[in-house]
Amino acid sequence: MSDTPPRNFHAIHITKDKCIGCVHCLSACPTKAIRVEGGKARIIDQLCIDCAECLRVCPHDAIHSHMTSFAALEAFDYKVAIPSTVLYGQFGPTVVPNEILSALRRVGFDEVYDLSSICELNCAATEEYLNEHPSPRPYITSTCPVVVRLIQRRYPTLCGQILPIEPPREIAAKILRTILPKSLGIPAERIGIIHITPCPAKMVSINSPATLAKSYLDGAISIRDIFPQILQALRKSEEDALMRHLFPETLFSGIGMGWPLSGGETRGLKKHRAVAVSGIRDTMRVLDEVEGGLLQDIDVLECTVCPDGCVGGPLGVENRFLAKSRVLELVAAAGEHAVVDQKDVSRLYHKNFLSFDHPVAPAEARPLDGDRVKAIRKAKLRERVFAELPLKDCGVCGAPDCRTLADDIARGYARLEACPFVEAGPRRAAVPANGRAKGGPKAGPKKKAKKEKP
Amino acid sequence: MGEAESVYRKEFPVRGGDFAKAGAAACEIKELLKDLGIDAASVRRAAIVAYESEMNVIMYAREARMDLTVSPGKVRLVVDDRGPGIPDIELALTEGYSTATAEMRELGFGAGMGLPNIKRNADVFAIDSEVGRGTRLDITIRTNGHHTS
Repeated sequence: MSDTPPRNFHAIHITKDKCIGCVHCLSACPTKAIRVEGGKARIIDQLCIDCAECLRVCPHDAIHSHMTSFAALEAFDYKVAIPSTVLYGQFGPTVVPNEILSALRRVGFDEVYDLSSICELNCAATEEYLNEHPSPRPYITSTCPVVVRLIQRRYPTLCGQILPIEPPREIAAKILRTILPKSLGIPAERIGIIHITPCPAKMVSINSPATLAKSYLDGAISIRDIFPQILQALRKSEEDALMRHLFPETLFSGIGMGWPLSGGETRGLKKHRAVAVSGIRDTMRVLDEVEGGLLQDIDVLECTVCPDGCVGGPLGVENRFLAKSRVLELVAAAGEHAVVDQKDVSRLYHKNFLSFDHPVAPAEARPLDGDRVKAIRKAKLRERVFAELPLKDCGVCGAPDCRTLADDIARGYARLEACPFVEAGPRRAAVPANGRAKGGPKAGPKKKAKKEKP
Repeated sequence: MGEAESVYRKEFPVRGGDFAKAGAAACEIKELLKDLGIDAASVRRAAIVAYESEMNVIMYAREARMDLTVSPGKVRLVVDDRGPGIPDIELALTEGYSTATAEMRELGFGAGMGLPNIKRNADVFAIDSEVGRGTRLDITIRTNGHHTS
């Protein structure tokens, strides 16, 4: 990893050669961060939250995520994997988590740690934090890096409501980074701690952390990339698997095991009222309500932008319904008993070992203009332009919808001529279907209707 | 002319009982204020005021017009509804008082925070109501950062 990561690191990128400039990603993007220019999609750096909605819908495989490659691990003398518990749901019912961890060792990791106990620890720390902080309400959990970035950009007033306990992956890496150099006698920088995940945004939280001076993780490998190797290792060692079944070495937490399912983060809370939301659109709808002062009777709001939680991450292999079913089996098998001691958690918590280094800061605001009077002028211009547009949201202009085109025009990034319907002025009059009010005080940059048909 | 240049006005119609669109006007107002460069703390207060008053209209009134005016140093929201009116304004402004039906409460509304919450987030708050006709709220939020609650 570079010592000075770029300020606006992104995991999601467009492969120009494969992009044909269609409109699938445009309309899928929840923050309207994509434009098609010169026949190719472009992501606006400031607006992208790395949710990967575009990656999911691209029919031409032109959008990909920059994850850590397996080869990059060669830089480390000692390689540690901490897989997301989503990984346990990617295999059939006969493959137990201990075998998966063991297979990862054979793939090339020197040590592999289960995260479910740390998930339970996080939940206990969250409980303690909520006990000590009766307001504001609701707090919002920070596990989903996309939610944190969404709040920074779209809901800046909610930054102070993000619950300042680091997510399990960072806590686990921090603990390992504290104990491993001493126990192994290897310098900390020679030890690589790698997360295995279905989520491209983890690369963003590692490279541009929102709440830490530096991430405790060295990289994130996607489940999709490492899956074939795990499968191969599993196939080669059926006898080994039998031993693992008979003599499990890791004690899994039932509370932590359910973490990748929506509601799993807060399921272990005993005294607090939690609400879990999943999916990017629903998350935005609920955050709008929180920004409007609602949900104050809820203690903690768990938001994950992937459908059904992390188990619906875009870089998984198994379809999320089967994965979810498998995870639920594992939750039931692990039982409800606690594997972490609340007193130990409390000690770590009071040492601030589990806290953010700094609070989440709002992203730079993007007003229509830095000058208040000019901003008002541009807002009025935007309304006049919008009244000219056909509201078809076709994407042909390169913006995702008419509203965004009007916004781009007001900001000086686009021109009204980009709209094919405005060009075809006379025909528009013949199609009154959209029911817009004609006439009225329109002083916008109205195109002169061409009389002759081309 | 210079005056008009620095003032932004927009009307938002709201229909009573329209739970499907609940919060839509407040959201639009909030996004507009961000686009106009209003500071985050003032946007938050305006969002709460707009949300609560929009919900009041949806829950109790037949229809209303929300008028937003943004001028240097302040955001003003006037919510003029045609509805049942409020018989006892002082009571309605009491924290925790609510006339929400059991059904509304089941939907998570009517915690008795509406009007007091609006007042708490406003710098200037005026209410005028006539039983059988309607209610008019006139709220100003100063955006120069001075707010005493």
